[in-house]
Amino acid sequence: MALENTQPVALDAGNDSKLAGHFKRNRFAYTFSAIIIAVGAALRIYLDTMGFTVGTDYYSDEFQKYWMPVLYGELIILGSFTIGLSTYLWMTRETDASSISKELELSRYWKLLSIFTVMAVWAGCIASNAVESDAAWHQVTIRDTDFTPTHIIIFYFALPALTAMLIPAFIWTHTRIPAFMNKISLPFLAVVCGILMIMPNYGFNEWGHTFFYAEELFAAPIHWGFVFLGWSLFFLIPLAMQIIGQMARLIAETTTEDLGQSA
Amino acid sequence: MSEIQENGLGAVETKARLLDLKSLDSPKAMKLYRRFDGIIILILFMFLILGVQIQFTLTAGDWDYWIDWRDRRWWPLVAPFSLLLFIAPFTYGIWARVRLPIMATAVTLLLCLVSWLSRYLNFHEFTHFPLSFVFPSTYIGLGILLDCALAISRSLLVSSLVGGGLFGALVYPINWSFMAPYKVPVEFNGMLMSVADLMGYQYIRTTTPEYLRIIEESTLRTFGGSVTPLTAVFSALCGMVIYMIFLWVGSWINGLDKYTKRIV
Repeated sequence: MALENTQPVALDAGNDSKLAGHFKRNRFAYTFSAIIIAVGAALRIYLDTMGFTVGTDYYSDEFQKYWMPVLYGELIILGSFTIGLSTYLWMTRETDASSISKELELSRYWKLLSIFTVMAVWAGCIASNAVESDAAWHQVTIRDTDFTPTHIIIFYFALPALTAMLIPAFIWTHTRIPAFMNKISLPFLAVVCGILMIMPNYGFNEWGHTFFYAEELFAAPIHWGFVFLGWSLFFLIPLAMQIIGQMARLIAETTTEDLGQSA
Repeated sequence: MSEIQENGLGAVETKARLLDLKSLDSPKAMKLYRRFDGIIILILFMFLILGVQIQFTLTAGDWDYWIDWRDRRWWPLVAPFSLLLFIAPFTYGIWARVRLPIMATAVTLLLCLVSWLSRYLNFHEFTHFPLSFVFPSTYIGLGILLDCALAISRSLLVSSLVGGGLFGALVYPINWSFMAPYKVPVEFNGMLMSVADLMGYQYIRTTTPEYLRIIEESTLRTFGGSVTPLTAVFSALCGMVIYMIFLWVGSWINGLDKYTKRIV
C-alpha cells in the first residue's frame, strides 16, 4: 500500500491554534505562493528600474548586457524546471491504484488544490502586472524587435511559468490520483494545451508585427490567437466538476465511516 | 433507497449517494466541504481574473485604456461583445451544475478590480499617464442586470434576450457619470473638441493609431447625437446573439467532463 503523510486531511493538527493549524495545513500553498510572488515582484522592480533606461533598443550594448541575460536565465530555469520535475514525477509514478487508501487519495486531492492555488496566485500576478504592462509599453515606445523588456517578462517568463507549473501538475495528477490514473482528463488536457499553445502563438504574433512595427493596436487581429487560446480556461468548470465530484464522495466516505457501515 | 433504485441506479451508486446525503449531517464533513468550497472559489476566481483580462485587453482594451477612445460608435459595441463572449460559457457551467446566477457579476467585478490595479501599476506608475486619463470603465451594473435576468426568468433563453440585450445597450448610460466631465466642449487653437480629446492631444502615445483616423470614420464629429442610441440598439442585438452562441459553446464544453484512454 502506498504510504504518505495524510496530515492535510486532518481537520485540526494536534494542539495547534486555529490559525496555526490553517497555516500548517496549507504550508505548501503559502510557501510556494510567497516564492512566486517574490520572483514576480523582483522582475517587476527590475522592469520598472531598467525598462526605459536600458531597455528601449535591442541593438544597444546596454540591452545586451542588462536584458538578454535575464532572457537566457528565464529560459534555462523554466526549461530545466519543467523537464526535470516532469521526468521525476513520471519516473516515480504510482503503478498500482488499488494500493492507495481513501485517506491518502483525499490528502492528494488537497495537495492538488494547493498546487492549483499556487498557479492561481501566479495567474492573478500575470493579470494585474504583466498583461497590460506590454500594452502600456508598446503604446509609448517604438517597437524594434520581439525582444523588449515587457516581452522578456511576459512572453518568456510569466506565461511559460504557468505552463511550467501546469505540465508537472498534470503529470502528478494523472500518476498519483486513482480517478485520473490510466486515463486522461479531457478538460485538464484542454487547459494545459491551451496555455501551452500560447507560446507557439508568439510566432504568429511576431510574424504579424513584421507588417507594422510602428503601430500597436492592442485589439488587433494578430493578438486574437492569444484570446482564442485563453478560452481554454472555459474548461476549468468541467475540470472543477471532476475534482468536486471525487472529493465530495471521498470526504463523505472518510468522515462518515460509521454511517457508511450502516448504509 | 427503494426510490433511488427505481431510478435505475446500481447498488454501489445508491449507497454512495446515501452516504453523500448522510455526510451533510456530519459536522466533520461539513467543515471539510466548506474549506473545499473556499479553495475552489479562490482558484476559480483567480483564473477568471487572468482569463477576462486577456480576453478584454486584447479585444476591447484600447477603448478602455484611454478616456478619449471611449467613443460613441465602437466602444459601446466591442466592450459588451468581448465580455458577454467570456461570461456565457461560465454562466452556463455554473447555472447548469449548481444553479447560481452569479457569473456575470463575478466576472465584471473581477475585471473592475484587476483593471484598476493594472492601470495604476502599468499605465500610471510604469508609463506615467495620469490616472484620470486611463481609469477603467465599469461594467458591474451590466453584470448584475444579466444575472438578475437569469435569476428572475430562470431561463437561459430569456436571459439572453433580456439580459444580453440590456448588457449591450446600457454601456454608455452606465458609464455616463464617469465620462460626462470629459465630454465638455473646449476650444483649443481655434478647434472645438472635448476635454478627453484635448487630453489625448496633450499626452502623446507615440505608437497608438491616431484616434480620429481609426475611431471616427466618415461622419461629422458631434458630442453625442443620434449615433449613440443607434449604436446602443445594434449593441443590444449583438449582445443577444453573441451571448446565445457562447452559451451554446458553454453547453458543449461542460459536456466534456470526461476521461479518455491514455495514448501512451
